[in-house]
Amino acid sequence: MLSQTVVKRLKEIVGEKNVVTDKVGLLTYGYDGTLLSGEALGVVSPTTTEQVVEIVKLMNEHDIKLVPRGAGTNESGGTIPSQDSVVISFTKMTKIHEIDTENFVAVVEPGVINFDLQVELEKKKFYFPPDPSSFKASTIGGNVGECSGGPKCFKYGVTRDYILGLEVVLPNGKVIQTGGRNFHSEPGYDLTRIIVGAEGTLGLVTKVFVRIIPMPRAKKTMLAIYDKVEDASQTVADIVAAGIIPTTLELMDNLLINTTEDFTHAGIPRDAGAVLIIEVDGYPEDMDGQVKTIGEIASKIAKEFKVAQSAVEVDQIWTSRRSAFGSVARVRPSYGVNDITVPRSNFPKAIGGVLKVAKDFGVTIGVVAHAGDGNLHPLILFDQRNKEETETVHAAEQALCMMALDLEGTISGEHGIGLVKKKYLDKEFTPAAMEAFRKVKRSFDPSNRFNPGKVIDL
Amino acid sequence: MSNVNISMLKGIVGDAFVIDSPSEMANYLKGQGKPAVVVLPGNTSEVSSIVKLANEQNVKLAVGGAVADTQGITGGIAMVMSRMNQILEMDHMNLVAVVEPGVLHKDFLLKVTEAGLNFPPEPYELETSSVGGCFAIGDSDSKSFEYGPTRTFLLGFEMVLPTGEILDIGNKCIKNVSGLDFIHFAVGSQGTFGIFTKLLVKLLPAPEAKKAVIGTFASMHKANATFNTLIKRNVLPTRMNLINASLAKNAKPGTEGQFVIIDLQGFKESGKNIANEVAAVLTLGGGSDVKIIEDEVEYEQVINGWLKVRADLNSKPEQTVEFAVGPMKMPQALTQLEALTGDLGAYPGVIVEGLLGFVGLALPEGTDKLDLARKVNKLAMSLGGNVKGLLGHKLKAEVYNDAEMWKQTASLLSELRQQFDPKGILNPGVSLEP
Repeated sequence: MLSQTVVKRLKEIVGEKNVVTDKVGLLTYGYDGTLLSGEALGVVSPTTTEQVVEIVKLMNEHDIKLVPRGAGTNESGGTIPSQDSVVISFTKMTKIHEIDTENFVAVVEPGVINFDLQVELEKKKFYFPPDPSSFKASTIGGNVGECSGGPKCFKYGVTRDYILGLEVVLPNGKVIQTGGRNFHSEPGYDLTRIIVGAEGTLGLVTKVFVRIIPMPRAKKTMLAIYDKVEDASQTVADIVAAGIIPTTLELMDNLLINTTEDFTHAGIPRDAGAVLIIEVDGYPEDMDGQVKTIGEIASKIAKEFKVAQSAVEVDQIWTSRRSAFGSVARVRPSYGVNDITVPRSNFPKAIGGVLKVAKDFGVTIGVVAHAGDGNLHPLILFDQRNKEETETVHAAEQALCMMALDLEGTISGEHGIGLVKKKYLDKEFTPAAMEAFRKVKRSFDPSNRFNPGKVIDL
Repeated sequence: MSNVNISMLKGIVGDAFVIDSPSEMANYLKGQGKPAVVVLPGNTSEVSSIVKLANEQNVKLAVGGAVADTQGITGGIAMVMSRMNQILEMDHMNLVAVVEPGVLHKDFLLKVTEAGLNFPPEPYELETSSVGGCFAIGDSDSKSFEYGPTRTFLLGFEMVLPTGEILDIGNKCIKNVSGLDFIHFAVGSQGTFGIFTKLLVKLLPAPEAKKAVIGTFASMHKANATFNTLIKRNVLPTRMNLINASLAKNAKPGTEGQFVIIDLQGFKESGKNIANEVAAVLTLGGGSDVKIIEDEVEYEQVINGWLKVRADLNSKPEQTVEFAVGPMKMPQALTQLEALTGDLGAYPGVIVEGLLGFVGLALPEGTDKLDLARKVNKLAMSLGGNVKGLLGHKLKAEVYNDAEMWKQTASLLSELRQQFDPKGILNPGVSLEP
């Protein structure tokens, strides 16, 4: 419980309606995209950097921890309130300060929803490449916190590659600016890079300078249908070997083909082993050549290859992919999204590994993958109300992480570490690397005030 | 008096690789400092032992790829990584290479090109830059608009920490957000967090076609105006660079006037059309001798000319002021700059990286660098930019009249350095206090 004094001060800082302390209100801020939950002492929603500073100072006086939160769509448990903490919600800092297409930069507050920014940019024929599947709900601040990816990473990279600078409130309540509006603004060390993906453990981001780029002049979307997942992986390997970098190489396995077909009726054969959505972008005059090369490569093994001929067909293809996560709810009530990445060359082995885990643990797993990146999202389907089954699922999730590490991969391709994967972090990183993380954390937050217990323990 | 124990160093790397005769040492050193010894380790464990020794004996240690900067290490050890010069792996399937830090940047580029691949970061210095140095400096360059800054190309590394411990991090996954991002944080830390002993480098497929368009202009303003036209037309080349008349001859002998180099890396089909469009824009904008270069040898000459000019500027940081503004703010920036520098064409050196809104100035002898940087920073800030890097950050805080912000940043930087290097052994020449 927060003392009356603290509640009163918080209300003075942000206004009465921006402080939540009632049980029901606290519950709603206790969840994120994972199955975990927690309960905060209170939730406070600042609207300015100055208010954030005041909140940080107040919490420091009373030795209360702060847990930052955007839309809470993350898959890592990064925003789950820890004990004795106040959630600082950035969803009311939603100003787009500036969109400067001539100079390729936009300045936004952390609570701006990724999609809302994209809509504004699209009016000017620009975009912000990172667009995680959650982009209709997730905030830019949250994307920065988790270093989100999305389907375009093979060509365009992840969130960190599009953040030029940040305004940050440090755990001592002081404000710094890292980076700026160009690539030449970091003060000696690349502070922006270490804060992106740190899940709010180093500082609270109150302003984001993002790099924006013109929308590609042309884009081609292709669909290849295979008997076996292995065949799809072969196409991926061959496309890369041909020197083509598609924006997207999305893979769905048979289970997801069927669950999405139930919903979209896109006409993908239900007995197919895998589909691959391939997209290239660039100058119009380069499209035909690339499509031709890709078509030749894919047709060698695919049972069907087609190029979307209209915007409607493109939409149809993408609707299947975008609805993949939701569509499995028809099969079982709950699903756990995993996020492992392996070097591209080990992708076929990783698919085999997923099948083995499914068999060993007797669980149903569907696979969606950003195949070009070697990034797999095995979805484990289950019923959360069944305790025993839930435990089996957790064991299977651990097995998936270990499998990725055995294949020289990583336990997080684009979702972050948070609470969910913290326990495996020392399997991926050596003691020296873990200690390097702690050195960084200690430099920023020696008293462990910001999002304690996420990513690493001090 | 040196307190470096030379016999112990010899015990670590062998007699042949410890050099203490001043005349021989000079081959491996630059700067005014006088280290007691140059040591050439052959592997990671030797590097680690040397660093541990430096800690035990409390002597400073400076590290370089082919040449070490001696600033701040008088009496200490200069470590040169040139013996660790192997490309350990070139992995086509995953588009990565595993490289030792002492591999020369130019040699690496050669091997990468032979393999049909692409490593975009520009060499900082043409002959002596190493791959380790490339990531230790971790700059952005005139290709960063298209390819991203240097850090984009590092996926992992092995590093000897300032305490001598060995840290191994990263993997061949191009998508990896696990843990804190120490991988990219280390890029640009100039060897203060540790010494790279192995690098896992990301590569790209080689572009299908490369072309350049060159031209000369009577004034910097006219030349730069064509850049704005290109950006407005949504023509965004790989490089869009401008060199003033004083330096143009260094890039291409015989050049008269301000020299424009537009580099187009991409596909054959679009390349042809864009080259024509660029050439037309340059010509209409008042360019002379506008030429599309398709010949491979000639293309390389033009690009090398640019790299040479860039490297000359890089080699004299104390006589250079660098800043960036929004690319489309460059016309105002150049006009206002001229009020400070006089005729830009005649100034000792002015380069513009048009896509990044970047300007590098080579200062005339006797210029008060800090005074000029302060004025340039004001100018840049009024156009949404700043003087580059740490100095720019300090000047920015000055303009904001925010001593607090600078103090916070500076103390954070020094705390980070101290956490990694508690005894302050490594690369004392790197200052975090401009």
